[in-house]
Amino acid sequence: MRALTLWNHDLDDACYRARLMASLAGVTLDLRSVDAFPGMEHRGPAMRVLTPMGRLPVLQDGDLVLTQVEPILLHLARTGAKGGAFLPSDGQVHARMEDWLAFHARDMGAASAAREAALFGGDPCVHAPAAREGLRVLEDHMAAQGLRGQGFVAGAAASVADVALFPAFALSRDWNLDHDGFPALRQWARRVRRLTGFVTMPGIPDYH
Amino acid sequence: MSAPAVPPGWTAVALARDIDAGTSAGVVLGGAEIVVWRDTGGRVHAWEDRCPHRGMKLSFGFVRGDRIACLYHGWEYDGTATCRYIPAHPDLAVPASIRVERYRAAEASGLIWVAAEGTGGAPPEVAGLVALRSLFVDAAAGDALARLAAEGFPGLGPVSGVEQGLFLRFTQGGTAFAVACHAVGPGACALHVLVAGAADAALIPATAAFRRAVEGAA
Ligand code: FES
Repeated sequence: MRALTLWNHDLDDACYRARLMASLAGVTLDLRSVDAFPGMEHRGPAMRVLTPMGRLPVLQDGDLVLTQVEPILLHLARTGAKGGAFLPSDGQVHARMEDWLAFHARDMGAASAAREAALFGGDPCVHAPAAREGLRVLEDHMAAQGLRGQGFVAGAAASVADVALFPAFALSRDWNLDHDGFPALRQWARRVRRLTGFVTMPGIPDYH
Repeated sequence: MSAPAVPPGWTAVALARDIDAGTSAGVVLGGAEIVVWRDTGGRVHAWEDRCPHRGMKLSFGFVRGDRIACLYHGWEYDGTATCRYIPAHPDLAVPASIRVERYRAAEASGLIWVAAEGTGGAPPEVAGLVALRSLFVDAAAGDALARLAAEGFPGLGPVSGVEQGLFLRFTQGGTAFAVACHAVGPGACALHVLVAGAADAALIPATAAFRRAVEGAA
């Protein structure tokens, strides 16, 4: 099977999303390591040719170059032999997945920003309130999903939306947000961890 | 500096269904940090959330059978909170003096309750109620309960039949609620919401709206 190329930094949570999706979907990645921290290589002129906004990860599949994480996840799910399971066939469930992917893109960026500030320099407090509010909205949603007997964000099965959103919660302790106040997200995170092909990254302990 | 104490008398700290067998969770009760965990047989334990080795939170650890293991160096504690295994010294007979402080833990009314050691009796069992959710709110427990008693959850209609006790009970829009509350700290609490009949997902937005309302007023 052909390998797709991922420009990757192991400690970057967006890159982890792509690695996790690839592993779950059964896609082999050719990883190219980018010295994002401390080297800031992703903002340098060579990488800007690939990713004009200086964003990671970058996925290359032949002539196709993707620089936004949500489309990267969707493309990996469509490409991998096991990826179809993460793309709901029911129209309503699929629409809900897209809605939560848009929520991820618009509203959960604060969690990545808070984490980046906490780990690599900056003030996490600038981003932490918005990030916490986003996770509380997701907690409310998953509390309701649980009562409907639906274990995942879009429905009864895991979708690309779960892969996008999981790291925001799983890595929140990096920016000092404990999991105590998020009982529905704790249970959801356990379900995600049990998916076949699940992989961790530094900051997400390897157990359960 | 000594850690805040777990109060005598029973306090609900979580929904029973929110802590699965073989998992752990951190709970803060009036500033006291507690690990609540279930062994793989389903029994609930509540201890101080602090590993005697280097102070790591045990709630970050993982459950193996009837023991919980610390995330840092893997020290394992059995159901009596006594250390039984130290991975760095696998042949060592671990001194029985290495123990975690234990509290009482019990299940009733679909909730997990904790109390200081020495607390007698059992927490209250109320019939006919099912757990809806735990709602964490940035407001003092007294303020949250007072507002709930006065106005209920936004959008569900007028409140009637208010009774205050270990549960705040009231009826709203034909639904009977019972709410147990634990103070997390001076300005934060958790409301453990039970409802009569069936737990309907359609009630969740009203609980979230309550959180926004009470935090907006704080
Ligand atoms: S801190 Fe718990 S085993 Fe070392």
